[in-house]
Amino acid sequence: MTLQWILDGVIAAATLALGATGVTLTYSNLRFANFAHGEFISWGAYLALTLAALAGSVFGTAEVAGPFSFGGRLLLAAGLAAALTGVIALVLDMLVFRRLRARGAAVTAVMASFGVSMSLRALLEVLYTSRPRYYSEELEIAMPLGAGLRATPDQLAVLGLALVTGIGVALLLSRTSLGRQMRAVAENPVLAEIVGIDVAQVIRLTWLLGAGLAAVSGVALGVLVQVRPSMGAELLLPLFAAAIVGGIGSVPGAFVGALVVGVAEAATVRYAGAEWRAAVSFVLLVAVLLVRPTGLFGRQP
Amino acid sequence: MSRAMLEADALVAGYEPGTPIVQGASLAIGAGEILAVLGPNGAGKSTFVKAIAGLVPLGAGRVVVGDVDVTAWPAHQRIEAGLAYVPQIENVFATLSVEDNLALATRGSRAARRAALERALGRFPDLGLARTREAGRLSGGQRQMLAIARALVVEPAVLLLDEPSAGLSPRVVGELFGQLRAIAAGGVGIVLVEQNVRAALALADRALVLVAGRNRLEGPAADVAADPLLAALYVGGVAA
Repeated sequence: MTLQWILDGVIAAATLALGATGVTLTYSNLRFANFAHGEFISWGAYLALTLAALAGSVFGTAEVAGPFSFGGRLLLAAGLAAALTGVIALVLDMLVFRRLRARGAAVTAVMASFGVSMSLRALLEVLYTSRPRYYSEELEIAMPLGAGLRATPDQLAVLGLALVTGIGVALLLSRTSLGRQMRAVAENPVLAEIVGIDVAQVIRLTWLLGAGLAAVSGVALGVLVQVRPSMGAELLLPLFAAAIVGGIGSVPGAFVGALVVGVAEAATVRYAGAEWRAAVSFVLLVAVLLVRPTGLFGRQP
Repeated sequence: MSRAMLEADALVAGYEPGTPIVQGASLAIGAGEILAVLGPNGAGKSTFVKAIAGLVPLGAGRVVVGDVDVTAWPAHQRIEAGLAYVPQIENVFATLSVEDNLALATRGSRAARRAALERALGRFPDLGLARTREAGRLSGGQRQMLAIARALVVEPAVLLLDEPSAGLSPRVVGELFGQLRAIAAGGVGIVLVEQNVRAALALADRALVLVAGRNRLEGPAADVAADPLLAALYVGGVAA
């Protein structure tokens, strides 16, 4: 039982990793810290809730597959929610962020993202109230995994999803033409333009990908915990801590950073008490910025 | 000069509206020709080629590549018209490998991309030996070669080079200019902005001297080299 807290930390890290991957991609390509990223997580979770309920009312009762508390219906809803969240991000970019980026006003863009974040959260509370919601009322029993460790099938599914998504995004960046273009835009957008890359298009795809990943992490969090309007905002500091610990721009970095943050939080809860949990990300963030600002995998161009 | 591959006509351009740096400068260049753009510091040489590349807003004027008027085209599309630009600094992606730098410029099918990449590496044997190295780890001369190799991947009609010799040793400049001569011999028109006046005039077929954003003197390189105005402009330490 003694190592159970590590497994709990790793599972928390899985949801964090999906969100942190989005943060690291958008931060490096758009060149500002988007504090509304957490709201993409919440919006993705709620959109999936509504879409799954819609599908449920069309096809009948709630659907459950195998040992999981969810089924293909929620997966489909999650996919659609990811696409819709991407569209929300594109619209926000068109209305707010693109203009500020064009003026080179990164600090203003950060401040504006605070405002956007609050508006998006308030809108969720108006639409859904702040009462916690659940994708399913199914109760899940943790299964023994050996060595005294236990996890629910849902937790293992989220772990698998995070790994597959992470590997997919890492391959996209390293092996595909779009990935190469994204890395080029992150390093030097002017030169990217000169080389013939449609930088505006690459930025749009980055928003879609980043916000889509956030939505997926929101659904994962909703499956494992619950769906609340503040779920994303509360995750914001750990997300940025994970992305910065790993090194902005690096997908493997986002995963390792999420692992560091997730396990450090779990260790703190186990050995110091749950009230210290919120301080962990902050301490890690400050420590990394002081000692190694480029993070574990970040590179100084 | 054969039919012009590139014509930049009476360009007015600058970063701030109302205070243009380029004030009506023009150039024309034919296939296989090398045109040196000279002038003292602050004459607007770099801004002139940047405006041709579409990176500085135009107040007035026209840019035509072949028969295509690209004046209203964004920078990233001008490459498709056959106009390739190599900036003076930060002209390679330092965190990307040599191969990835070149691959960014390739177009078309996988096989076509592969072939274009191999052609570019074949032209510069130094790069062929360092294909998986990060561009940030290359020497100054190799970086310049990589930037030019990448510009050539699209087989442009015209190559715009902003001070390619800056910061390079005389030996490397000699090598580089030798490559430029070979590239021009292949039919590519080269617009060469240079501070290194003597080397540029030795390489170029024609030269254009800009002063205060306007054409001040132009003609065959030998005539410009012999013109007393050129000496007057460069004496007094305005430009090295």
